[in-house]
Formats: sequence, structure tokens, C-alpha cells
Amino acid sequence: MARDPKHDVLFQPIQIGPKTLRNRFYQVPHCIGAGSDRPGFQAAHRSLKAEGGWAGINTEYCSIHPESDDTHRLSARLWDAGDVHNLRAMTDHIHQYGALAGVELWYGGAHSPNMESRATPRGPSQYASEFETLTYCKEMDLDDIAQVQQYYVDAALRARDAGFDIVYVYGAHSYLPLQFLSPYYNKRTDQYGGSLENRARFWLEALEKVRNAVGKDCAIATRFAVDTLYGQSGVEVEVDGVKFARLADPLVDLWDIDVGDIAEWGEDAGPSRFYLQGHQVPWTKFIKQVVKKPVLGVGRFTDPEKMTEVVTKGIADIIGAARPSISDPFLPKKIEEGRYDDIRVCIGCNVCISRWEIGGPPMICTQNATAGEEYRRGWHPEKFRKKGSSDSILVVGAGPSGAESARVLMERGYTVHLYDTAAKIGGHVNQLAQLPGLGEWGYHRDYRETQIGKLVKRNKDSQVALGQKPMTVDDALAYGADKIVIATGSSWNTDGTNCLSHEAIPGADASLADQLTPEQVIEGKKKIGKKVLILNADTYFMAPSLAEKLVLAGHEVSLITGVHLANYMHFTLEYPNMMRRLHELHVHVHDHQFASRIEAGRVQVYNIWGDGSKRTYRGPGRPPRDENKSHHWLEFDSLVLVTGRHSHDSLYRQLKARRAEWTKHGVKDVYVIGDAEAPRLIADATFSGQRLAREIEEDNAQLPQPYKREVAKWGVAHLAGENSAVEYKT
Amino acid sequence: MGSVKGCRWKILVAVKQVSSLEEDFEIRADGRDVEPDFLVRDLNEWDEYSLEEAVKIKEAGAEVEVVAVSVGPEVADEALRKCLAKGADRAIRVWEDAVAGSDSIAVARIVAAVARREKADLVFAGVQSSDHSFASTGTAIAGFLDWPHAAVVNQLAYVQGATRAEVRRELEGGVLQLMEVDCPAVFTIQLGINAPRYASLRSIKQAAAKPIETLCLGDIGLSSADAGEAGSLSRVRRMYVSAKGRAQMIDGTPAEQAARLAAIIKKFTGAGA
Repeated sequence: MARDPKHDVLFQPIQIGPKTLRNRFYQVPHCIGAGSDRPGFQAAHRSLKAEGGWAGINTEYCSIHPESDDTHRLSARLWDAGDVHNLRAMTDHIHQYGALAGVELWYGGAHSPNMESRATPRGPSQYASEFETLTYCKEMDLDDIAQVQQYYVDAALRARDAGFDIVYVYGAHSYLPLQFLSPYYNKRTDQYGGSLENRARFWLEALEKVRNAVGKDCAIATRFAVDTLYGQSGVEVEVDGVKFARLADPLVDLWDIDVGDIAEWGEDAGPSRFYLQGHQVPWTKFIKQVVKKPVLGVGRFTDPEKMTEVVTKGIADIIGAARPSISDPFLPKKIEEGRYDDIRVCIGCNVCISRWEIGGPPMICTQNATAGEEYRRGWHPEKFRKKGSSDSILVVGAGPSGAESARVLMERGYTVHLYDTAAKIGGHVNQLAQLPGLGEWGYHRDYRETQIGKLVKRNKDSQVALGQKPMTVDDALAYGADKIVIATGSSWNTDGTNCLSHEAIPGADASLADQLTPEQVIEGKKKIGKKVLILNADTYFMAPSLAEKLVLAGHEVSLITGVHLANYMHFTLEYPNMMRRLHELHVHVHDHQFASRIEAGRVQVYNIWGDGSKRTYRGPGRPPRDENKSHHWLEFDSLVLVTGRHSHDSLYRQLKARRAEWTKHGVKDVYVIGDAEAPRLIADATFSGQRLAREIEEDNAQLPQPYKREVAKWGVAHLAGENSAVEYKT
Repeated sequence: MGSVKGCRWKILVAVKQVSSLEEDFEIRADGRDVEPDFLVRDLNEWDEYSLEEAVKIKEAGAEVEVVAVSVGPEVADEALRKCLAKGADRAIRVWEDAVAGSDSIAVARIVAAVARREKADLVFAGVQSSDHSFASTGTAIAGFLDWPHAAVVNQLAYVQGATRAEVRRELEGGVLQLMEVDCPAVFTIQLGINAPRYASLRSIKQAAAKPIETLCLGDIGLSSADAGEAGSLSRVRRMYVSAKGRAQMIDGTPAEQAARLAAIIKKFTGAGA
């Protein structure tokens, strides 16, 4: 199918300085956990997008000097020739597919803790980072300014040597150039502080120096947060934003614009829970009106209609994307070929981002289980190894892991029967998508539903059997499958079992009229009273989501939480607005509290730190701390138990117990995946389904095959001529 | 090929391998059909229900045989195998070159001839086929057999061997009609009358090993004059795609788009006027 001609505008080339982008799809800098130390990962992940049609593809933020060292998080680095060598792998691979490679030169100031290098970060004024813990910068004098600007120049020259086509001076997310521009940080009274012209000086000079150094060979880009969203105390787009854009326009070839800062960068990488695609447009639209150079903007653009609107209405010339490019590296190709319903639409859950926030393990994606696995496991999101046998496969459970496994097995050419009691593919995603703000999470189900719908037409022996009676072990054995994959999911505990006591809570029982599991709340069949208590021992979104849902339905809601409420939402950048939401909905949070006993209409709670701080050996049967006497009772009309989950693994265990009968029934092997194996993130459940489908011919395919590791090799020095031996300078 | 051993009683289920269109398709050079390369084939959805209804009677009775019959070229075997996997005991396909171009009347004549040859006690067909939608083959079979019939049946009470069936038919505007029909009879079966079963991998594998009986016109006492265009009462003159689509993009904020969409829906449905 050909693309809609109205999307042609997205495929027009555009000049940026000495380079040309072949179309309007551009992967803005984003973290993946590769940096310069996992060059294979870096090269494969980025070049796959070049193959998928993107015109420009960037590194993550790339440190220009050991003074900007983000350890415990993971950036790229261009500190020396060793980094040049490693990043060269990325640019070479991108160039093979006719795309441009960009590098985002980064100096963090007080926001980089320098935990590896132990260097002192420098900034326009001295302040403690509001993002990092215990990190102050040194206020720069004029020598410092010249020196740090030279760091940019030296790194730009290394970038050119590494084969980069686009070189950034990175001034979004509150990094150094923006720290000079914003009065929130810049308290100087010399020529680098005060007026807009003075605050812009550092950035403009850095751009000019970088341009003079590499501007003939490379396009010069700058990433600019056009509004820091603090009002007058920061950068406002119609004040400093457009003025700076006018001043810097002659020095740049490409504007990469967004909004926000670093401490709340979820205002830029907006989660779908709070922000629709294009959410930055009311701020970013002003820039194109005052600059002559091409502008690119972000905002989780996944829909070609929106993209076309952005370009044709003059909001931006180029569609920038990070998350949509992770979710579907072939997004441009699919639009170009008119394969709109093959697009794996980003659900905006920000689980990709969570990995960087955690400290830089390899990125994962809820929608695209191959993200981060391109190099080490050799997984291509659109290409599959042909099936290795004529085995037919029964997949029991059409949730995230089962549907993914069935899809990939079908792609590989296997005959697959996907079986579920529910009337719809999607498993618990069908429930989650009904929670406030999570509608877009349903795209995870939609993608698999659409693809499986197409795949079963290709192989008439494959089948999707929905709305079925629960499968018994006898049914499964007699089904006629050569291999059986159990993906029966998990559910919330009905007896209060939790991660604190690893026991049930006396009196907890969701079969009673006044206690509910999250599933029962979402299902909406059980009557819920006016005064609701949510008992929480889960560190992700379920408790706050249910609180929001129940307040909106007219209930008075309090939360008792024995763990850091919504801790994982820090990593997905949903935390700040989730907390604002609970506050504005008057949800009362009893922090550091958990339940010891439940009776009709009341729960006994205690402070988890209420036992004695002194630890003393007192002999067997006597706890080493003083007794916790903080217990008291709270009353409720309804109590919601968000205490933990457990796998639905009985079918798997029964099949294993009857292994002796497998041969008689022609069953060669049985596997368990997803939440049925262990409850986990949707991303990890999806991965486990894809993983098994890719490796199902292997002996003991229940366990993953080893992957290619990228680690420093003993005896091989990072830099040529360096000695790798243990030596002391004595 | 005789009956299943010991079976005294037989339901013939007429099924069709229907076609649906790929996203992109072209019309055949003669302008009278879609180019076959662009067709995706499957068992007609209605036939899933009529087969299930027959299999249910078989499972409730004793020594009942369910025979699926289709008029079509070799690709139709795929639909018949699906019937075998879902409970049909035997499958028959009627074809020779002279059958090409048959309309629903000619097809009905062929199915009726098979019913006579099989000495069927009941004949089921889907209300209509999803591709050509004439909704006439089933009732025309009754005509050729000179049997009573009931169309658009959405409930059927029948015990093997009974001389009457109680049926409920779906009429306009939610009106239902309960009827008694003397048997043997032909029933055209409506969607939703039952929940068609899925085939297990075991039954699919077993169906793949079963033979499909193929008959030509001579085997069922017909000649080429009874089939194809010669045996039909209608002919396709032309098949084409209407020139203009009616899609339009709706701009604006989500609220504006929703309001505009609601207005369009109201206009077309006449709701809320």
C-alpha cells in the first residue's frame, strides 16, 4: 500500500548547514545505556533506525571532558582517542544506511556528580544541584569560562574525527549553556550575567568557537529548552526564549527545541499518563516564527497526521522523536510504505527512561522487546529467523507475554494456537488501560491484536481462540500441540501477602464484602463504600492510580503505605505530577505505615520504624529490638489490598508433574513465561515472550541463551601506547 | 465413498470458501471480478455457525453423520479441512471447469444433487456468503429438492429423526418468528445461533489426513448445461470501485474534534435531532 500523498511533506529532504537530512524524521539524542563503552550496542541500536528510515540519528548526551562525568548514570563520552574509536562504530554503521549521525556535546555543571573522575564541576554561579544529591559547582572566573569553552571545541574536533555529521552544543535540560542563560542559576554581575545579552554570552561564544572549529564539515545544532516552566524565575519562551533564538540563529544550522529542566524532565519527556502527543507545541511554536534555520521539535509524535500538521502549520520543519523511535525504529519506513497499522505506537509509559534514571542499565521498551537487544542478542524488530522445526505450539494466555510469544512464533512461520478465557487479546493490559491516564497503554494490546490478526490469515492452521473455558491439564495434554507455552499471568494477592512480612495479613480476605483487590476495583462489580483505605506494599503505580480513580468516582481515599509510595514513578518521570494529583484530590497518605491485622471495617496499622533503634542479642525467641508499640486502628468502609502479586502457574506446575505422559500425547516440551513465571513489568513480560519465541528450538529453551557481552578486556589498554599493567607511581 | 459405518442419519452442510480483499487490489483484466492474487480466502463466517449447529445435533444424537459440501476449485479444500477439524465427518467438493461462472442458483442445483446422492435428512446453509451476499443459495437448494425451508434461523430445536423442527427466525426490527417446519427441510443459519468451536491442533492434524471426496457434474447426475453461465440465471457484467472516497480529516483540539465527530454521527444516524 502506498502512503497517503498528504504525508509526502514528511519525506522532503532538508538542508542543515553543510549536510542534508533525507527526510523529516530525526532521532533526537536519547539515552540507551550504551555510551562509548558498549560500542556494539551503540552502533546496532542507532544504525537500526537508519535502516528504518530515520534521516538523523544521535548519540545520547555525550560528555566533553572528565569534569562532566555523570556516573552513576550513563552518558556517552568523547574524552579521548579511545572514545573516538568506539563511537566511530556508530557513525560508520549509520552512514551505511544513508543517514546522518549526530553527537550531543554535554557539560553538566552542578548536575554532574563526577563520581568517577572526582573532578570539580564548574558553573556560572555556585549552587547546589536541585537534581543531584550533594553536588555543588565552582563559580567560573573568566579563565574558567575560556577553558570550558575550549573543552567544547576540543570535543567537537574529536566528534568530527569520529565521523559525526551533526555536532550539538547541548543547552536543554538545565545543562551548562542554559545555566548561564537562566537567572534561576546565573547570579553573576559581570559581562556573563544580568541582561539577556550577558546571560546568552557563554552559549553564543561556545557556539561560535565550535562553529569556527568544525562548521565547514559538520552541521552545528543546539538543543534549547525554550521555556523552563518556572515563570519569571527561569527562561520564558516569549521573553528570553525568542530573544536568545534570534541572537543564536546565525550560529546554528539546526534548532532542536523542547521545554523544561532536568529535575522534572518529565515535562519534556511527558508520560502519556499526563501528556498527549504534541504537548510542547504551545511553547515551542514561537521559535519558528523568529528564526531562519530549520527547527525540530519533540512531543512523542507517533501519528503521521499530527506530524504532517506540525510541519505544514509551520510549528517545526523536522519531527524529532526519542521514545517513538525506540518503540518503532521503522516508523518512517512504515509511514513511507503506507503500512500505518504496522506501526508499534509508543505507549508513553517511560519505562525506557526509567533505566537511565536508575543509573544506566541497558534500556528496555514495553512495546518493542528488541530494543537494547539488537547487538547482544542479535534481535531485529522486523526480521525473524525462519522456524527451526515443524512443531505446532499452543500458547495458553493472550496477555503481554503470551501474545508477544505467539506473534513472534507466527512471524517465524510456526503454527500457533493462542488460547485465552478472555474475549480479547491483552490480558491485564485491558484492565490497566481503564485506569486514569493510561488509555494509551492499550496500544500495547492493539499492536499485538492487529499483527496476530494478519498472521493467522497467512497460516490457516494457526488460530486465536478467545472466550474459552479455562484450560485444564488434561485439555492441554490432549490438545495435540508439540510444545506448550504457559502465559497465564498473575493477579493481586487476596490475603495481604506482601514484600515486608512475606506473610498474609491476619484478617485480609478479598472475598469479603468490604475488601477488594485492584482487579475487583477496576472490574467495578463489587460495591465500594464512601470511605476507602488503600493498603499498599507495591512500589509502582497501582495504589496511586486506584486512589485517583476512586476519588474521581466520589470516594474519600486514604493510602497506607509500608514502602516508598510510587517509587518506580520517579524513574518513569511520572512521580512529580502523580504527587501533585494526589495532593489536589485530597488523598491522605499515611507514610511508613503498614497493617498487622484486619477486622470488619477497621485495620490495625503500625509505624514500620516503630520498633527500637538499638539492636541487642537477647537469645532465641526474643527479638533483638524493643517491641513496636505504635499500633492503632483506622476505620474504613472499603479496604483495597495493593500488597503484592502472585503467579497463576498451576497449569504449568500440573503439566510438569505429569511429564511422564508427555510423550504419549506427543508433547515435547512445556514452558512458562511472563507473569505466570514471576510478576514483572509489562516490558519484561513482553520480553520473556519474545525471548522464548526466538529461542524455542534450543535445548532447555526455558532458560535464555547467553548474549554477547561488551566488557573491558584485561591486558588491552583503552588508549594506544598505554600500559595496562598494575603500576604504582612511587 | 460411503457413509460412516453404522450411520443412519445425515446432515449435509453447504459451505463456501469466501474471499476478502487485501488492502490493495486490482480488478481482473476482463473487468468482471477481482484479480485472484489479491484475495484472502477463508471459510464463510455463517458456515461456521451452520456447521456447529449440525455438529451439536450429532453430539446430542446417535449415529449422525455431518457431511460438508462445497462447490469450488481445489483451493476450497482449505475451507473443507477447517470443517473436518471442527467436527464434520466427511467432506465433498464438486468441481470441473464447466462449473466456473455459476451463480447461486447453479450452485444450489449442484448442492441439491449432492443432497439427493447422499440421501441427506437435513440440509444447512449459511444465511449468506460474506463476499457475494446474495442470500439465495440456501433457499434455492430447498427449491431444487422441493423441501420446506426456513431462512435466517437463529434458534433451532431438533432431535435426530423427528418429523418436525422448531425454529426461531430473525425478522425486521427485532421481531422474531417461531415456526414448526416439516422435515426433511433446508435451514439457513444466522450468525450468533451458537458459539462455534475452535479446532484443537490435534483435530487440525487429523483433518489434514482425511480424504476429501471430489465429484464432477456427471457423478451427481448433472451435465455442463446445469452449471456455469449456461446453468445460471444471472451473470456479472462488471465489477468496479466507486470513484470517490468520503473520508475527511477533522482538525482542532481533541474536544473540538470530538464535537465535530459527534455532529457527523448524529447527522448520519439521525440521532439526537
